[in-house]
Parts: sequence; C-alpha cells; structure tokens
Amino acid sequence: MADHDGHDSGNGAYKIGSPARRLEIGRFVRGAGTYVDDLQLPNMLYAVFVRSASAHARIKSVDVEEARALPGVVAVLTGAELNSLVKPSHGSGSPLVTRLRVYPIAQDVVRYVGEPVAVAVAESRYAAQDAADAVMVEYEVLPPVLDPEQALEPAAAKLFPELETGNVVQELHIKTEDVDEVFAQADLIVSERLRSARVTACPMEARASLASYDATLDELTIWATSAGVHGVRGKVAESLGLGESKVRAIAPDIGGSFGAKNSTYPEDIAISALARKLGRPVNFTELRPEHLSSSKPGRDQIHYLDVAVRKDGRILGLRDRIVADLGAASTVDNSVSSAFLYVPGAYDVQVYQADAYGVATNKAPHGSLRGIGKADAALTLERVVDIIARKLGLDPAEVRFKNFVPEDAFPYKTATGAVLDSGRYETCLKKALELAGYDGLRREQATLDRPGVRRGIGMSLVIEPTSAARRRFGGGYASCHIRMEPSGRVAVYPNIGQQGQGHQTTITQIVADRLNIPPGQIDVFESDTAYTAYGPGTGSSRSSVTLMPAAMVAADLLKDKLLKIAGQVLEIDPDDLRIEGDAIRAVGLPDRSVPVREVARIAYHEVWMLPPGMEPALEMTGYFLNPNINYHPDERGRHNEFSAYPYEAVVAAVDVDLQTGAVEIVKYVSVHDCGTMLNPRIVQTQHIGCIAQGIGLALYEEMRFDEDGQLINSTFMDYLIPTVNEMPELILDHLETPTPFTPLGAKGAGETGALSPPAALGNAIQDALAPLGVELRETPYTPASLRRLIKAASGGAPAGGQALAAGGSARD
Amino acid sequence: VTSIRVTVNGQEHQAEVEPRVLLIHFLRDTLRITGPHIGCVVGRCGACTVLWKGKPVKSCMVYAVQVDGSEVMTVEGLAQDGELHPLQEAFWNADAAECGYCTPGMLMSAYGLLSHNPAPTTAEIKHALAGNLCRCTGYVNIVKAVQNAAQAMVTTPETDQLA
Repeated sequence: MADHDGHDSGNGAYKIGSPARRLEIGRFVRGAGTYVDDLQLPNMLYAVFVRSASAHARIKSVDVEEARALPGVVAVLTGAELNSLVKPSHGSGSPLVTRLRVYPIAQDVVRYVGEPVAVAVAESRYAAQDAADAVMVEYEVLPPVLDPEQALEPAAAKLFPELETGNVVQELHIKTEDVDEVFAQADLIVSERLRSARVTACPMEARASLASYDATLDELTIWATSAGVHGVRGKVAESLGLGESKVRAIAPDIGGSFGAKNSTYPEDIAISALARKLGRPVNFTELRPEHLSSSKPGRDQIHYLDVAVRKDGRILGLRDRIVADLGAASTVDNSVSSAFLYVPGAYDVQVYQADAYGVATNKAPHGSLRGIGKADAALTLERVVDIIARKLGLDPAEVRFKNFVPEDAFPYKTATGAVLDSGRYETCLKKALELAGYDGLRREQATLDRPGVRRGIGMSLVIEPTSAARRRFGGGYASCHIRMEPSGRVAVYPNIGQQGQGHQTTITQIVADRLNIPPGQIDVFESDTAYTAYGPGTGSSRSSVTLMPAAMVAADLLKDKLLKIAGQVLEIDPDDLRIEGDAIRAVGLPDRSVPVREVARIAYHEVWMLPPGMEPALEMTGYFLNPNINYHPDERGRHNEFSAYPYEAVVAAVDVDLQTGAVEIVKYVSVHDCGTMLNPRIVQTQHIGCIAQGIGLALYEEMRFDEDGQLINSTFMDYLIPTVNEMPELILDHLETPTPFTPLGAKGAGETGALSPPAALGNAIQDALAPLGVELRETPYTPASLRRLIKAASGGAPAGGQALAAGGSARD
Repeated sequence: VTSIRVTVNGQEHQAEVEPRVLLIHFLRDTLRITGPHIGCVVGRCGACTVLWKGKPVKSCMVYAVQVDGSEVMTVEGLAQDGELHPLQEAFWNADAAECGYCTPGMLMSAYGLLSHNPAPTTAEIKHALAGNLCRCTGYVNIVKAVQNAAQAMVTTPETDQLA
C-alpha cells in the first residue's frame, strides 16, 4: 500500500540497499514534474538568441533596428550592448587560456556556428523569434579551423590570436622512467590510431533558464536546468557584480543532463543581465537545433597508441599521443586530463608515456558527457587489446586475464598515480563470459551459415573513475543539511540535486534507515541555494560516493542529538536508547520511552530541559570529503583525482550485414560492479540507460560538419539517438565490491555502462569483418561507414561476403 | 487571431490564438497544461504527444486552430479523481521513468495503443513507442510497464476507463 507520498511498502522497504520504489516518479506519471519552462511568472518575457551562421568570422555589423520595431518586442541587444551589462570572466581549466576574456555574447569574432551574437526579448516566444530572425548580421568570413590535427600546423588559422601556443589550449605530459627500454625490448609493438566521434548528450529537455530581478531588494533569482546551483549562483553574481547571497539559484525538475547541463552557460548570464535591465522576468528555452549546435558536446579524441607486448600477450608498456578537439574552448574541460590519466585502464601496466594536446577548433566548446575523457581512454585501450590478441593469435579474454590488476593488489596505484580502490576484474569478465556462453558463441560463429552476414564477438572491461576532486576544482566534498522540525518531521537539503537519478528516494532511504523513522516523515528539498549548504553539483557520478555518505553523517548527527535529549528527559544513558519509529525507547525497559516529536518540541520550545551546554534546535549539516584523493603530488609528481572506480565487463555478439552494413546485436551481456548498491532498482534502471546511450555512441551518433563548419545534422531527424527498436535484449548481472573508502561502499552507477558499447561492439564488429581485411578505427560504426570499409577492403568490388586477402595478423 | 473552442481533459476552453501557434504552445503557455513537454519541435521525440480525437498525435505538429471544436486529452487526463490510471501505476512500479521528461508523451502513446489494442505483443508495443524518444531509461522498463499495464487492465474492471 502506498501512503500519500507514494512510499509503497512502509518503513521496511526504505532502508539502505533496499529496492525501494522511486518517489519522484509519482509526480512524473501525473505530468506534474515541474521543469524550468513549465514556470510562468507574471510579466514574463521570452528571450531568443541570434546565433552565428558562420564558424569563423569577424562581425562587421549587427543591425537590430528592424527587429526592435516589430510588435511585441521589448528589447533587442547586440553583443556589445549585452556585454556592457556584465563583467567578463577569464578563461579557465588550463593555464594556457587564463588570459582570455570571456563575454556571454560574441561581439568582434564568432568562433562557431550557433554562438550567440545578439538577443531579442519580447512578450511571447513567437514575437521574440520574429525579432531574432529580423536581426541582420554582416560577417567577414575567416578561414575555419575544423580538423584538430590540422589546427596544430603552423599555417593554421588561429582561434585566439592572443595565445602564444597557437590553437593548443591544453598540454599534458607524463613519462615513466623505463619507457624507452621497454619498447626497445618488446616482442611486438602494436601501433594504432583510433578516433571517437564528436557527439552530444541530448537530454530530452534541452537547456532553459528563467531569471527574475527584484529592484527594491537588489536580488536576483534564476531557475536553471543546472546540475550545480551553487556554481550558477557564483557565476551570475560575479558577472552582475552582485553579492553571492543576493542571487538565488534554483533547479526544479531537470529533464536529464548526462553532462550537458554541468556548466553555467552564456545564456544564463545574459538573461540574468536582461532581467535586471528590463525589470521583468526573462525566460530562455533552448530549441533542439540550438542544443545540438551550441550546447557542449563530448568525446572527439584521437589517440595514437603504441603498445609494447610480450609474445604471450603480456602488455609491457603504453605510449599514447592524444589530440582532443575541444572546439572554441576558452574554458577547458576535464576531458583531456581524464583520458590522459586512465589509458592504462584495468591493467597492471606501470610503464606509460602520454603526450596530450587539447586543441581549439571552430566548433561549439567541448564539455562533459557521461564518462568524459575516461570513455576515450577506455575505448582506445579496449579496442587495442583485441587487436593485440588478433596479432598474437590469442583469445582476447586470455590477453585481458594476463594483464588485469590482480584481485589481491587493491588499492592499486597506477602509472599515473591514480589509486584504484577495489575491483575483481577477472571475476567480472569470467562471469560475463559465462553468462554469454562464450565457448558456445565461438562455436556458433564458426558454423554460422547466413549468406552475406558475418558474426563477430567482442568484449571489453572498462573502469569508470568517479567523484573527481582536484585542486582549483571547487569539488572535493558534499554537504547535506538536515532539520527535524518541532513537529518531528524531517527536512533534508542535499547540496547535490538530481536530473533523473532519484536522489530524493535514496536520501529518504538513508535517513529513514539511520534514524529508524518512517520514510513518510521525511521531506527532501533539492537544488535551491537559499536552503542547501554549499557544495559542488552532480557530475562524475559523485552523489552515491560523497553525497549519500554526507546524508548519513547528517542523519547520525541528528540521531545523536535526539538520543542525548531523550537521555536527559528519561534519565537514561543515551547509549541505552534506540529510536523506533515515532518513539525513543530504552533498551530492555518497555515502559520507558518518549515520543520523537516530544523530543523535537523540547529542542525548540523547552530549552531549559536540554542537557547542560547543549545548543537548542535540531539542525545540522553533514559533510563528507572525497576519499582517496591525493591533492599533494607524490615523489613522481602524480595526483589521484578520483575517489572510486566502478567497472563493467561486456561480452557482445553482432551480426553484420555485408550488403547494408547494418549491425544487429544478437547478444549483449553486462556484468557491472558499482560497489554496494544503495538501491538496486535505481542502479539497474540507470545502468540500462547508460547502455542505451553507449549503443547510440557506438552505432549511430556523430555530429557531422561540412567544410565550412556547419553542423549538418542539427535536428532529431538526422542526429539519431536510439529508439526503443535499437535496444537489444540485455543480459545483466552485478558484482558488489564495496569501495573501502566510504561508509556506504557505493562507487557511482551513472556512467560506466555508456563506456562499454563503443569498445565491445567495436571489437565484435571488427571480429566479424577481420577476415575481409576491414580495420575499424573510428566511431560510430554506422551502416554507411561499415559499407565504405567493406567496399574499400574488397578493392571497390561489391560486398558479397567472400573472404578476401588474409586475416588481420598476416596483413599487419 | 482566431477564436477556438476545444475540450481538453473533459473541460471546455475558449481562446483567441494566432493561426501559427502550435498546439503544444497553446496547451502549455495559454491553457497552462504543462504535462506535455517540448523536446524537438520537429515531430521526432514525442515528448509532446497528446490524444486528439482519440488518437496519439505529436502536438508540435498540429496548429491550435486545427483542434477547434474537438477533444484533446493530455497526461493530466489519465488520473481520475486523483487515482492513478493503471498505466500510470504500471510505469511507476516498473521504474519506467528517470528524469520524467518524456514520460507524459510515452504514457499517451501507450494509452493510445492500449485503447485500440488491449493485448499488444511486444513488437506492437515497440512499434507504438518508436516515435517517443527517451535518453534515460533505455526503454526496457517502459516496454515492461506497458505489458504490465495491459495485463492489469484486462484483469480489472478499470478497462472501462478506455473510451
């Protein structure tokens, strides 16, 4: 039975680790979720941004006169006019870009198609769009920089002429001592160039924000589709010259993020400035084509990986050169550093060299996307491990078993200084192979007789570092404020809000469990800077690693105080007291108890009854620091930037149609270990969603640009994300290897599954097509790209399934 | 500006609309019925799906003036007197939503299917939902929810709720 809040089976089901039904879904199925664009304030205006039609150009003129004269139009501002209302910020994320000044709207030069150049504000969406369409911008086109490798050439046009490093906006290097010797002595050196496509997160709700300014109080409120409200508040306050406390940032329900909503965007700053200037609330709601062209995309790295290998498949050393296309990045994200740190993956390889370059190009600035950077590292190494196996004539599973970090070696410090917390990689892959019936699959593959179709089998084991904390990052902890009201109800204010992950439910479980009170007594309030304690936003799967322990700390502080007060009232040692639902009882003394709400009332209203020296009220903040982080470099200058390391083994089988290039996933087995599952239902649902997104990244998704830098696929008609029909049947299992560094043992579940498909399906497709001489080196593996490869391998002859030339090992 | 009269979730509304205004904007901005969402405005994502004259349509593909004199049902019309429809219960119990943004459209497509096909096969369910995109769930639980709802609805008198 459900109570009024939707808790479906009483107290017992809302414990840490129980499969509790998600509370939030109750309002979603009623259509009562409240997203930014659902809000309507009195006198609200709508803003539409005029966006650059050119990838690289000097703005010669912006004519807004005609637009201003249209009916319903309240204001049209050029970039220069809007920028004069705000303080510019500086480039960040890399020492190479800190000298750049960053304005919300382009005023001299545009650097990507879709960059805002002006903004129109009107009484309705339609009038604002009319006005934006009527703004005339004259451009002097500059040569666009579109290929990150060409961008490194001295002759390439420069995005930011003031940078001394040309188009390089970030550079990282590492080399362990014995790299050269190990490569000199290896039996085999495998060298591969692999590239991941530029893709975009595509949450179903695009971005939106709504700003409202109170001139009397000089206070601004912004509702934003933001993963981190405290970050938005700080940036808006700084840009507008307001005190932080004069800005309130709220994220209501958010329709997914997957990284795309991790940043404060220029539009958030611009509409805040507009709300203040115009004295009326201003709504900005992004349209899908704007989202695809202007919101931050992800992936798009080129890796030149050399691997030194012994004949038996043991990997001796890795040498990588990374070129990452960061777009028009005046603010550099963590994609390059995360890839750079995790190329060695799950393997015990201490010999490592990497040289990484983040490169600016004339595309929308790069940002977070589910598995940022780590996904590129995982894809590269996991693909190359299979290539090594093929060259040596070994089974790809065998090569992995030979190289995994042994299960008794944790915590394990990698070549880059990362400290892998815990893991059972061998057990995990063995389980996946067993569930897939691997030997049987191989036999089937050998005997499959379908004309024009080839079967391939691939696998991967990826790690997904979570809960990042770095110097100058602003992360490093989570906070959770808790208050028991005088009535005995509990209000919880986590600093990290959700965009679909179900924090309300998980926090309710933790607080109900620790306090041993009914879940219906608990209210969770998220993502409002007016109520929540300071802390970083969600991202990096940090909620289950740091926020949930912070909620536990908060609940335990509250419990401790409740028991002390009850001890005073009952004249019993607090250690002999237990909370049991609505009462605090003495152990073994059934007649000695006090109602919880009576203790709460005393804490606020009868303070003379409190233990001597105790402060009144029942309100406290729990903090939890990121564990397992080394901010201070070790003797080799290395840091550890992530707290926990979930991982996943995938075994997949595909059938590739040689005529059409279509890939059918005939088997997909995932064994996932995200440590202790705080709510297995939530983990499972999120994990399936990860796999779906990963399948999209593997088989369908790619932002395609023409030679002028125009995004060709800027709607859902041509940027294809998986539909229900693209989902194969999944065989899923979990290991639970707790992280030893947090009291709850959870490692984070929101990203790992998205990393595997490009690797495992890539390996499977490669396995299917290797006999034809096809070499697969770039995502996505679309029918068109596979057909091209099949045709090229057969020397342009129509593909028909005849085996050509020799297999991979002989060719190489 | 044209005057239209439309019944939404059983309630009649009269309003003045510009001929170019899309049904989704009319529902959300004018009538303040915000259950249907906007995900693409090109008829691809299905977040705005509503029932028009008993059939699922993407309300970003319909002008408000077109619905003059007819009936529209949105997700808000599913629950009766505060009681969730079995389909909504099934979505909740099967964890068929994460961020909830696509959910109202999914529900209306599923409702449209079940109202003319009370016992759909898995393939029929997938066919009916192929025009609704979800980025969070990977669809598995959504398909399961529709299957569960179909079963629940044939075994309870609540089937009557389907008009």
